[in-house]
Amino acid sequence: RPYGGYEYPQQGAFVPPDMMQQQQPYTGHIYQPTQGYTPASAQSFYGSNFEDEPPLLEELGINFDHIWQKTLTVLHPLKVADGSIMNETDLAGPMVFCLAFGATLLLAGKIQFGYVYGISAIGCLGMFCLLNLMSMTGVSFGCVASVLGYCLLPMILLSSSAIVFSLQGMLGIILTAGIIGWCSFSASKIFISALAMEGQQLLVAYPCALLYGVFALISVF
Amino acid sequence: GGGAAGPGPAGADTVSAPAQGGGSAVIDMENMDDTSGSSFEDMGEMHQRMKEEEEEEAEGEAGAGEEEDGEFLGMKGLRGQLGRQVADQMWQVGKRQASRAFSLYANIDILRPYFDVEPVQVRARLLESMIPVKMINFPQKIAGELYGPLMLVFTLVAILLHGMKTSDTIIREGTLMGTAIGTCFGYWLGVSSFMYFLAYLCNAQITMVQMLSLLGYGLFGHCITLFVTYNIHFHSLFYIFWLVVGGLSTLRMVAVLVSRTVGHTQRLILCGTLAALHMLFLLYLHFAYHKVVEGILDTLEGPNMPPFQRVARDIPVVSNAVLNTTSKAIALTL
Repeated sequence: RPYGGYEYPQQGAFVPPDMMQQQQPYTGHIYQPTQGYTPASAQSFYGSNFEDEPPLLEELGINFDHIWQKTLTVLHPLKVADGSIMNETDLAGPMVFCLAFGATLLLAGKIQFGYVYGISAIGCLGMFCLLNLMSMTGVSFGCVASVLGYCLLPMILLSSSAIVFSLQGMLGIILTAGIIGWCSFSASKIFISALAMEGQQLLVAYPCALLYGVFALISVF
Repeated sequence: GGGAAGPGPAGADTVSAPAQGGGSAVIDMENMDDTSGSSFEDMGEMHQRMKEEEEEEAEGEAGAGEEEDGEFLGMKGLRGQLGRQVADQMWQVGKRQASRAFSLYANIDILRPYFDVEPVQVRARLLESMIPVKMINFPQKIAGELYGPLMLVFTLVAILLHGMKTSDTIIREGTLMGTAIGTCFGYWLGVSSFMYFLAYLCNAQITMVQMLSLLGYGLFGHCITLFVTYNIHFHSLFYIFWLVVGGLSTLRMVAVLVSRTVGHTQRLILCGTLAALHMLFLLYLHFAYHKVVEGILDTLEGPNMPPFQRVARDIPVVSNAVLNTTSKAIALTL
């Protein structure tokens, strides 16, 4: 299991020194930028030696293996999602995807980075409020932003195809509808498994579909 | 405020500790409502307390300066200073009460029970919203739920945006998204509030949440009509949909309201207003964006052809945007 085995110190609990000495497993030492406690305790152990400093990516909290795992989860809509994926809020992947989306729009002649930023910010805020109201356990804003950002990946396919041919015909409509369905299905699947809201997948998928529909609108028109 | 620097009047002792709220005759809401366990409100309280401590320190320094002026003026200054301190204390206490009340009621958790639904329930309510009830002598049940209406309003926003994009609407002051959101949410919230006010005047048995829910589900007919008629541009098709689909959802809302109101005049006022507003809104949404299409085509091809024989109206299948771009391309080459 790629995500099990090591407890990420979520609440700022003290990390025992015997864990710090196991240097081989890469997944055990990702410092979450949002948790202020862990870097302090870990860096005091590592000391000031240059050779003992953790790698830069590890210090920044960017774990390519995790990013790749989450990307695969999004790309395989029928793969069962692991609820513990979303314990760490990773915004590096979503940032890359949003920039790639804006770049593909740019290649099609639409300079709309501002729209992408605004719509994603308001959309994340709206989904955050809705999910907090609908779920028993609350959800953090970083988790919502992370999931929605990862599920933007199929939309990049749509905007790339908009460079090559116009999406305003029947083929474009079918492709758009399919990709919106894919994005919202993946997002709702991850939310359901992370928040344990069985039986409400359609209720979560619909607002996601509306949000990705607005993204599709700026890709198509 | 507090923080008397030197020997002040006797009143200074009672105002020296406004932070604890002791000796205040105003009811302290903190003890009345037990909201423990709601972390949102606890954060709000902590912030509030920290801000108040900072303010008191600032006021303490300012108060010391004022006190010296008061003493200098003698007896008159003494009374003025006491009055000022009492007014200041009352203002601070009032402000604290107001901010506590605000952080209590602006808590989003109040809305939580209205979002507790199953997909089956939402689907059933959507279908029911198009079926007028027959029994109007018995008050009909209205589900007080906000998930369905909220999603329907957002769907209407999305359909409006799609319609604006396909008809190449240009909004000069503001943005497309802002206009669409403003129109739809303004209708839902504004007309609900207005109808709730009228219902209060006409003694109807309906709460605000129920009114929001009823009107929200009534927008389902609007969504269907606009979705179909923004893509298939038959004028007569729109009128048929307006009457049938819009009419059915209006009849349902009207029947539910009638069942909850007593008295002929009151029923007439309530139902007439609701029916008029609901049907006129659909008419407005349709015509606000099709007029732009007619305007563009008119300027391109000249005033010779009468407007109702526009090409856009007669071709059912071709998308409006494709037609626009081809007509513009033809005009450019000519």
